[in-house]
Parts: sequence; structure tokens; C-alpha cells
Amino acid sequence: MQVSESLRIAVVNLRVHKVRSLLTILGTVIGVMSVIAIVSIIEGMNKYVSERLLEEGSNTFYVDKFGMITDYQEYLDALKRKDLTVDDARALERLSTSILVVGSLAQGRNNVRYGSREVSSVEVRGVDEGFQAASTVEVEHGRFLSREDVLRRRPVCVLGSDVRDKLFAGLDPLGKEVRVGRHRFSVIGVAEKKGSLLGVSQDSNVMVPLTAFQKAFGSRSAVTLIAKARDQESLQLAQDEARAILRARRKVPFSKPDDFSILSAETFMELYKNFTSTAYLVTVGIAALSLVVGGIVIMNIMIVSVTERTKEIGIRMAVGARRAEIMFQFLIESLILSGAGGVIGVLVGVGLAALISNVTPLPAAVKAWAVGTGLLVACGVGAFFGIYPAARAAKMDPIVALRYE
Amino acid sequence: MAELIEIKDVKKIYHVGAEDVHALDGITLTMKKNEYLAIMGPSGSGKSTLMNLIGCLDTPTSGSYRFNDREVRDLSDDELARIRNKEIGFVFQTFNLLPRADAAHNVELPLIYAGIPRADRRRKVEQALEAVGLAERARHRPSELSGGQRQRAAIARALVNEPSVILADEPTGNLDSKTGEEIMQVFEKIHGAGNTIILVTHEEYIARHSGRIIRLRDGLVESDVSV
Ligand SMILES: Nc1ncnc2c1ncn2[C@@H]1O[C@H](COP(=O)(O)OP(=O)(O)OP(=O)(O)O)[C@@H](O)[C@H]1O
Ligand SMILES: [Mg+2]
Repeated sequence: MQVSESLRIAVVNLRVHKVRSLLTILGTVIGVMSVIAIVSIIEGMNKYVSERLLEEGSNTFYVDKFGMITDYQEYLDALKRKDLTVDDARALERLSTSILVVGSLAQGRNNVRYGSREVSSVEVRGVDEGFQAASTVEVEHGRFLSREDVLRRRPVCVLGSDVRDKLFAGLDPLGKEVRVGRHRFSVIGVAEKKGSLLGVSQDSNVMVPLTAFQKAFGSRSAVTLIAKARDQESLQLAQDEARAILRARRKVPFSKPDDFSILSAETFMELYKNFTSTAYLVTVGIAALSLVVGGIVIMNIMIVSVTERTKEIGIRMAVGARRAEIMFQFLIESLILSGAGGVIGVLVGVGLAALISNVTPLPAAVKAWAVGTGLLVACGVGAFFGIYPAARAAKMDPIVALRYE
Repeated sequence: MAELIEIKDVKKIYHVGAEDVHALDGITLTMKKNEYLAIMGPSGSGKSTLMNLIGCLDTPTSGSYRFNDREVRDLSDDELARIRNKEIGFVFQTFNLLPRADAAHNVELPLIYAGIPRADRRRKVEQALEAVGLAERARHRPSELSGGQRQRAAIARALVNEPSVILADEPTGNLDSKTGEEIMQVFEKIHGAGNTIILVTHEEYIARHSGRIIRLRDGLVESDVSV
């Protein structure tokens, strides 16, 4: 028999039972929809995060004594470790052949005021002369902190663009004095806008000379080191050299692990991927569950449909339909049901992803493989759960089916 | 000339509860091509049961049924389907049309299962509807047709694949006598065109259209008369 006839029959029947058909495919719709939406969001985040991390400098890495802390005990242990200092930074620059430049960074939070305006809880960064070269900070207006500023412990600062906007609202901030906590700093530059990363602004900060930072905000000399390798290829070598140099300087015995940690964009990426793969697993679980439930609903409705149409099956057999043709007809019907569920699920899922990326800072990237898999699995569910009802229809005795009222 | 239908000592026994119902209790009959046969008999005598066996919709409990020189018992499901499709046109008392398809599509069904290309199907459907005088109602659904028109559509469906035999189980049973007479004219015309017909009826005046009348009683042939 022609496939077109099977399709025609199926479409006619689905049109007759519009509401029932819609309810039938709900499980499939939800399954496919959640896969598409969540995969799109996760993939969008992956793309976004890796782009941002690369932009942050694929040949820089960070060294501090904490690293990726995942529990409180680890934190307490790390707290006891020796601080990293500006001297370590200079040592790395001097002793390593693959490291181009090392910047030092100390961080704190404080309120920043200008006249009657105030921005609270701004990230205050104490940076040395190597920082600008090692990181990707650019100055949009004025100049960056110089070696002189650091050496002479000058009370000057470079504002993040958010802070500038909030404090000065159009006025030229250069030469003005702002108060960071209780301390006065005069503005010498404004950093270029970096935008936000996953909803967190990267421009809400104030940079001051590391020496001035340590004098004003703390006696402790702990810093994070930002090292820049010669190029992408020597990144791994640079990290190895840094590790060896720091272990020697900190007198870590051969048998002990590092008492500091080295983080690169790759480290962040790996951690992030770990997290998203868990999210993937959860999604697959939800989707599998709703697809199985959806499949059972389809099977149930197809059994009802086969029973309701017993007479029709009898008529078709009486005029010469073979069992395989009856089977095929009902299989096509459950395939259309689940396929429609898949298509609607894809559309709703894509819509949902677009909506989420519009109203939240989460980005979205719709993946062809996710759409393809969604549709394929939906059809697979229809085919699998359609077999039993279709076989039931095909097995009918023509005369019994014909007599059915 | 070979017999089209050869039935030898065919029995059909239904088990209803603890009881055995002998719907057919040993029927023997033969039939040639181009015969016009009427089967009569009181209600419950086994007429429909016999028709269903001849139409390959049902199988006998025992005995032999040869159709076109082939033992039906030995045929596979697919071969039976092919015979129902190509060799037999069944007209039911209750029409048995698909309610959601129009007359043309109902008539088209056997052609679809025969795998005939669309263009040929359209032409054959037109001819069949023309033959039963229903051409102008082709796009009507069964619910939009009168009883007589429905039966015409059913006859067109039985005719359309040019079967070896047309079986009609009380085709006029649900129609008034005037419409019934019109339907009989259609059968007469079909028979005149060279078709073989077996027709079940309760009405003597309907049976008189045929060339041979078989009377059943209690699952047995009571009489077999050519007229
Ligand atoms: N599916 C069935 N199960 C049990 N008994 C059946 C079945 N079909 C028919 N019978 C019995 O077989 C006998 C013959 O039935 P059949 O339908 O062949 O009669 P009929 O001659 O066509 O009667 P009518 O003129 O009323 O249509 C009846 O006694 C009937 O009760
Ligand atoms: Mg009967």
C-alpha cells in the first residue's frame, strides 16, 4: 500500500481527535522541550564562558595560596599556608624563561564616595606595575598606574567604568578626589568597559597602587600573582617553571604537595564543564522519564484508537488490506503523534531558550545535534510504543472485527 | 469449464458456552463462472455464515472449500487478503462504508490495497460510480447519502477491482422495496456485463432475479433449483 494512504488516514484520525491527540503528545513535548531548552542554555553558557575566558588571556595563569576551595577544612588548611608576595612575582620574572611578566594583585571591598554620591561594596584592587601587562586591562581615558605610582605609594586610582558612571555621571573624573573607605585617591584614569560575565559586572572596581593598597587597607602583604607566558605554546612550560621556582622558594619538601595553586583559563573551564555535565545528566534523566511516560500515554491512546476502530479494521481487511498494511497504518499514526510531539517540543524548547536568554543574563545556543536527537528519540518512542497497539490491530480476525459494534 | 467455487461437506461449529451451534452442518455445492445464485432460508439457517466462508472472511471448522481451484484452508493470511482484494467483492447488509471517507474514497479502497497507481484508481472509481449511478455523489460521505445511495457506493466498491465473484448478503435488507428494486436492477446490469453473483435474500421477488436458488435450513441445503 502507498505510504500516502497511511499518512492520509493518520492525519484524518488525528484531526478528528484534536484535543486527545494534543494531550497524548504532551509527555513527548515536555521531554523534547526540556532537552532542547536546557541543552541550549548550557551550550550557550559554555560558548560564552569559554569566549570570555579566552578573552581574559589564554596565556595567563594565576597563582595564589587558595586555589579552588571546595570545603571549609580545605579553606582552614589553606589559610595556614605562607602568603605569596611581590617578591615571589619578581623571582618568577627573573628565574623563568617562559614567563614574560608577572603582576601582583590584592583585593578588598569598600565603599567609594565622591561628594555626596556613594557606591557601596566596590571591588578595590591593589595592583603593581606588572599587572597591566599581565592582564587585559585597557585605559579608556587618562592613564594607567605607573611604576612610579607604585614605588612612591601615590594615592591615585583608576576607576572601573561602572564606578565612574555612578559617581560622576558625565563629569570628567580626571584629577578629582574620591574616597575609598576613609582614604583619598585622586583619579588618573578610567578603565575600558569589559561588560558583564554571567550577570556580574566586570567594571565595578577601583584600582590603586599595590603599595598604597597595603598601607591603607591591610598590613598583610598577601597577593595573587598573574603571570603571562611568552605565548600560548609555552603556557604549560611557564606553569611548570613557576611551580618549580615557587616550591624552591617556599621550601616545599619533595614528598609534599604544592602549598599554593596554579589556575589557568583551562582550570576554570574544566571546573565549569564538570558542573555542566552534572546538569546534562539531570536533564537526560528528566527527558528520559517524560519520554517513557509520553510513550506509554501514546501506547494507551493507540490501544483505545485500535479498539474504537475495530470495525474500520474489519472493513479494510474485507476489501483486501494485508496484516502488514494494517500494522503499518497504526505505526505511522503513532509515529506522527510522537513526531509532532517532537517538533512541537523543539519549537517550544527553542522558544523557551530564547525567552530565558532574553529575560535573564543566561545566553542560549540552539544546537543542531540536540534538535536532531530530540526528534529522533521522539520518533523512536512513537515507533517502540506503537508496536504493541499496531500488532493488536493487525492480529484481528477479519470477521470478528467486521461484526464489532 | 472449471468450477469457480467447490464446497464439500463444509461445517461451521460455534462454541457458545457449553453448547455447540452447528451453523453449517455439512454443505456441498459448486458454482460456475457467470452464474447468478440466490441463497434463501429462514433466519439462523446459516446463510451469512456460508457467505463469510465463501468470501474468505472466515474459515470452516471442517470440510473443503476450493476457490478458483485452490484449497482455501492452505492459503496464508496474505494470500487470503489478496483473494478478498482481487477476486471477491463483498456487499454487506449494513453497507460497511468508512464513515469519515467520501463515497469515492470508499470505492477507491480495494484499488489502494491492490497497489494500483493514482491515475488509474481515479478512472476506475469514476467508472464504478457511473455504473451504479452515483457519479454525482462521489464527494459525499456516507452520512450525507440515503440508504440506497450508500448501498450503491458499497456495490461500486465491490465492483471496482473487477472481482471473480460478487457476494451480497441481504443487500436490500435495509432498504424499502422500491429502492431494493433499483438495487436489483444494478445487480442485473452487473450480471449482464459478465459478472458472477451470489446474493442472500429473504424476498422471493428478489430471488427471482437470479438464475438459481439454493434454500438452506438448519445449516443444510434443503433445495437447489435452477430457474
Ligand atoms: N459468531 C457467532 N457465534 C456464535 N454463533 C453464531 C455466530 N454467528 C452465527 N452464529 C449462529 O449460527 C447460526 C447461523 O447464523 P447466520 O448468521 O449464518 O444466520 P442467517 O441465515 O444469516 O440468519 P439471518 O437471516 O437472520 O441473517 C445462528 O444460529 C447463529 O446464532
Ligand atoms: Mg444473515
